[in-house]
Amino acid sequence: MANQEALDRQGGHPCLMSRRSFLLTSAAATATYTVMVTMSPGSAAAQQVPAAVATYPRKLIGRLSELRVDEPVDFSYPDEEVYSDSMLVKMGVPAGGGIGPDSDVVAFNYTCTHQGGPMQGTYQGADKALGPCPLHLSTYDLTRHGILISGQAYQSLPQVLLELDGDDIYAVGIFGLIFGRYDNLQA
Amino acid sequence: MATPYYVPETSVPLPPPDADVITTACDYCIVACGYKVYRWPVAGGKNGGPLADQNAFGVDFPVDPLGPWIAPNQHNVVLHKGEPHHIVIIPDKDTKHVNIDGDSSIRGGAIAKKAYNPQSPTRDRLKQPLLRMYGVLMPVPWDFALDIAAEVSKHVIAKHGANAYGVKTYSYQYMENTYAITKYALRHINTANFTFHDTPSDVTSTPGFRDAGFDNFGPSYEDWRDAETLLICGTDPYETKTILFTQWIMRGIENGQKAIFMVPRRTAGVAYAEKNGGLWLDVLPGTDLLVVNAIARIIVENGWEDSDWIQKWVNNKWESSSGFGQGTRNTPWQWRTTWGKFQTAGFDDWKKWLLAQPEFELDKASELSGVDPQKIRTAAEWMAKPRDGGARPKTSIMIEKGFYWSNNTGNTQAISALGIIVGAGGRPGQVIARAGGHQRGGLRGGKYPRNKSPEKLPGRRRRAIDTDRYMVAGHTRLAHVIGNTWIQSMCGSQGLAKRFDELVVANPHQIRSFDKQDIIDTLKARADSGGMVVINQEIYLVDPIGNRYADIVFPAATWGEETFTRANGERRIRLYQKFYDAPGEAKPDWWIIAQLGKRMGFDGFDWKDSNDVLEEGSRFSRGSRKDFHMVKVAAHREGKTLHQKLAEFGTNGIQGPVMMLADGSLEGTKRLHDVNRKLPDAGPAGQNMFNKKLTHFNSQTGKCNIQKSPWSLFSDYWEWMRPKGDELWCTSGRINERWQSGFDDRRRPYIVQRWPENWVELHPDDAKARGIENGDYVMLFSDRIPSQKDTILGVEGDDFQFGSLMKNGHIELSKASITAVAIVTPAIKKGVAYMDFLHTSQPANALAGRVVDWISGNYNYKMGVGKVKKIGVSPYKDTFRSMSFARRDIA
Repeated sequence: MANQEALDRQGGHPCLMSRRSFLLTSAAATATYTVMVTMSPGSAAAQQVPAAVATYPRKLIGRLSELRVDEPVDFSYPDEEVYSDSMLVKMGVPAGGGIGPDSDVVAFNYTCTHQGGPMQGTYQGADKALGPCPLHLSTYDLTRHGILISGQAYQSLPQVLLELDGDDIYAVGIFGLIFGRYDNLQA
Repeated sequence: MATPYYVPETSVPLPPPDADVITTACDYCIVACGYKVYRWPVAGGKNGGPLADQNAFGVDFPVDPLGPWIAPNQHNVVLHKGEPHHIVIIPDKDTKHVNIDGDSSIRGGAIAKKAYNPQSPTRDRLKQPLLRMYGVLMPVPWDFALDIAAEVSKHVIAKHGANAYGVKTYSYQYMENTYAITKYALRHINTANFTFHDTPSDVTSTPGFRDAGFDNFGPSYEDWRDAETLLICGTDPYETKTILFTQWIMRGIENGQKAIFMVPRRTAGVAYAEKNGGLWLDVLPGTDLLVVNAIARIIVENGWEDSDWIQKWVNNKWESSSGFGQGTRNTPWQWRTTWGKFQTAGFDDWKKWLLAQPEFELDKASELSGVDPQKIRTAAEWMAKPRDGGARPKTSIMIEKGFYWSNNTGNTQAISALGIIVGAGGRPGQVIARAGGHQRGGLRGGKYPRNKSPEKLPGRRRRAIDTDRYMVAGHTRLAHVIGNTWIQSMCGSQGLAKRFDELVVANPHQIRSFDKQDIIDTLKARADSGGMVVINQEIYLVDPIGNRYADIVFPAATWGEETFTRANGERRIRLYQKFYDAPGEAKPDWWIIAQLGKRMGFDGFDWKDSNDVLEEGSRFSRGSRKDFHMVKVAAHREGKTLHQKLAEFGTNGIQGPVMMLADGSLEGTKRLHDVNRKLPDAGPAGQNMFNKKLTHFNSQTGKCNIQKSPWSLFSDYWEWMRPKGDELWCTSGRINERWQSGFDDRRRPYIVQRWPENWVELHPDDAKARGIENGDYVMLFSDRIPSQKDTILGVEGDDFQFGSLMKNGHIELSKASITAVAIVTPAIKKGVAYMDFLHTSQPANALAGRVVDWISGNYNYKMGVGKVKKIGVSPYKDTFRSMSFARRDIA
């Protein structure tokens, strides 16, 4: 699995390496891209990282054999604090960042990245989408890393990085800032 | 350019409690949400913290929903007074108007990324004046470029006349700039070869509104909320002017408003309305007039019209003709109506005409428009059928470009009459107006010299020059293009580009010298030889107008880099404050114009700052919908500048026209045509000006003209354009996530990831018939793009009608083709393909005819036609990084 390889390579910078590898290997075909990515140059963000580098917890959130197509399972990540509500879903179609034999299992944070609307219960099986957000109607494409379909969000829906160990599904990281927080690991 | 390999940030810096806070409004759509800029120095590393007393918002993080959260796309680093500063720009959570709960769209929400930062994709901002020498644009000093521009300009005007100096400018990019530009072009150069970014001729966008007496922007946003039935034509405000929908119309729908959308495309706002009891009239391009008049017909057949309103506010036979010879003879309304095509003798006369037109019968209108007859009947009932007990529904009508750029004159005449009979006008929740596209930043510093235009319709006075046709004919010897693409935003774009190639690039007189006089002489020789010189003022190098055609490029400073003033779609005037340094040597457009004006020998271009320009221009706003002159009077009484006074209004601003009350306080105008408004008994004291439209309609009597809207003036063009064989309508419009040409969005990695290039929505049946799937590359093409090639003097009444132009050999057919990524969705009507309206490399307008609406002079941009075929597979089809093919109308 490409994502497992990414994790194995992550070394001392778990978030960074896995994020990069994740994004570069998220094609329908699993061939590894050789394109180099320049990490976002807004160096100001880097200055804000706390001195003690926190890392994402590895958390068991479900079992592959127990997932049913288009039936989301809720979990909390990366902590139990506000805005940690997330969903794990097997969509039945391949997806960016999808794990499992069909690359169709993905996980996302539930909070709309526009103005913090709760999107629990808005999974749309027919379109593999989350939303519309009850506040301002944003919708997100869960096959494409939570990219905005239509709406007003300032970024994609934060995607939870998954790892498959046998039948066990682990959450191991997040891409994108969770609404309401200034740092994903500071709640 | 931004890369689609966008990696999101997972943390942001917080502004410290002592960060500078500067108010502004969004640079983009008509709504102009209020924003706050938080600014603090990078040096010292003094960022804020997550506790309320540690940050500028005074709140604990994580914040509540709707709270002052900062997405990483809302942070940037800029230079302020030469020193690096953090900026965070988020919607103003305290504003009392417009975006009232601190809401924002994706466009404005990410506006911090607009600011120049050499470490971001904004790094290619124009920073120095450029001069094309040896075929390459080279940086040169300001004086060098300005001297050359002015010398060549003086020569062109002296030798070839003022009309040889063509000016194609934005109409809206702040009043300080538009005042300077129009003063220069219209008052001083006095050229009739002048128009704005969105029209080939300087003419009214909504002729029907003009004739009926409706201002384009009369209502307040609360009126759209308070309507009980709202007909929205040619737009989904959710997609294009988001906050007008999410903060106002959505609130109305939640309160039971029946929203009716007349558009060929079902987007999120339409889906939301339908889910909540609304209606979608899925009209085919160009047939809106038929549906509108079918609705009107049902209303009058049932006697559902608002008789009291009509009795009081509609001109009768005598009033319709009042002022002849003296009053209305010199108005566009009179020129349009002298041929008897539109004018009526009042409501009964109009009704008689309406009922006599067979194409407005329900079945016929339904057949041509493709709208189910039951839906048309329902719309008529919702708009006008009195309830049990006799109370009328409060009905409002909103229109925008999908509607008025399809059959410009006909549609706007028809909708005005419908508005009049349902009592929409100047009462709370009962209004008729445009929704708006860009903001309202025009201020006229000169009058258009119409008598110098060669355009003359039969029996009428002259109409403004068609600047495209004038350029194509070779009359424009110097094109001065300010802040717009010209070519891609006009119809038949590829034909226009071809002409630019011939007149500019293929001309033998190209600069091959370092000597200033040589350079000037070369450009003069270009103009004298029948070629064209191009001067371009821009913030980025635009292809092709700057990149391929411009001889001289002046770098402009823009939003946030200078203090500017502008109004929004409810005439709310706000100050857009400077908060960081413009890149390099870039200067605001008013300054560039002033330098040219002085070198041309014109007086009155000695402004010292942008406030100076606006203070000079304020008196020219008098009587207009954004009259702010009394703000200046108040400012000077208080020893302040106009800008200082406007800054005090913050993001709330003040709605024009502004009047001063007896106690010296200022009062804004909630709505125009406000028939219930009581103006001060003392009258327009001091410098106050009471325009008729404050309390009446903008017509010869103050009452509405109810006008005819004949289908026959347009039907020959519609029939000719109408798809033949396997052609489809190829229409276009806005997409929520991009603004205008994408000049900023193309430099935002997140937006580039979402919309990496042009796309086309196709109905599943149309796609299947052509073997097209989601993500396929398609070619949209046509070998019958019509363009009117000759400027003729009209003699007979129908000389300018499309059928006559064709018969008399004034129409030329050409080819066009553009590529796009296919999106297959049932959200678009069968038989219609829909694209973004302005991709600079793949312009949808290439497929629209370069033939103006013959009554008004506007293009009917939305009437493109072409064939569609698959040419391959795009990189987005089988990868997950970019684009989405999910439907946009999930509700």
